[in-house]
Amino acid sequence: MAAVTYPDTKVIGFISENMIPVQVLFDAQPLSTDFNVKWTPTLITLDPQGKEHHRTVGFLSPGELIPSLLLGISKSYFETDRFEEALQNIDKLLAEYPKSDSAPEAIYLLGVCRYKITKDPKPLKEAYEKLSAEYPSSEWTKRAYPYRLL
Amino acid sequence: MENEIKWEADIDVALARAGSENRPVLLDFYNPG
Repeated sequence: MAAVTYPDTKVIGFISENMIPVQVLFDAQPLSTDFNVKWTPTLITLDPQGKEHHRTVGFLSPGELIPSLLLGISKSYFETDRFEEALQNIDKLLAEYPKSDSAPEAIYLLGVCRYKITKDPKPLKEAYEKLSAEYPSSEWTKRAYPYRLL
Repeated sequence: MENEIKWEADIDVALARAGSENRPVLLDFYNPG
């Protein structure tokens, strides 16, 4: 990450504008134990209260790190009931990184956010249809499978 | 435009900034090798 991803200009710009970055040694206590860190790199998205919302383990290229962070930001808003702000970040992820590994989960979350806002199940079915058409082998397509019946 | 990531080294400082700047925290556990 230090050699390839963190020096990337887009990564620097994205993190500087959207997050508060903090870097600690893998065995720093009590954080390492508190977050059950067993391998590096472990990247965790926290809300300002310190609650975890997203985690990745292992190397991510610049083209995968930014959408992964957008997904983490989206989940931090979603899990604190800030659905419109979650949607804004999901839309950005899907517009700018539609082929990224984070895209299928983002589509799933898009459907759930829209359902939470509207109470209409139609977005859940739309999420399944998009996932099955564009990412047929994704685990998120399998997780959305029941929504085909809505 | 920054030319490198300005990492905080203290989680409490990062969380305080996150609250005041209304941004999430990226917490990176790393191994310097």
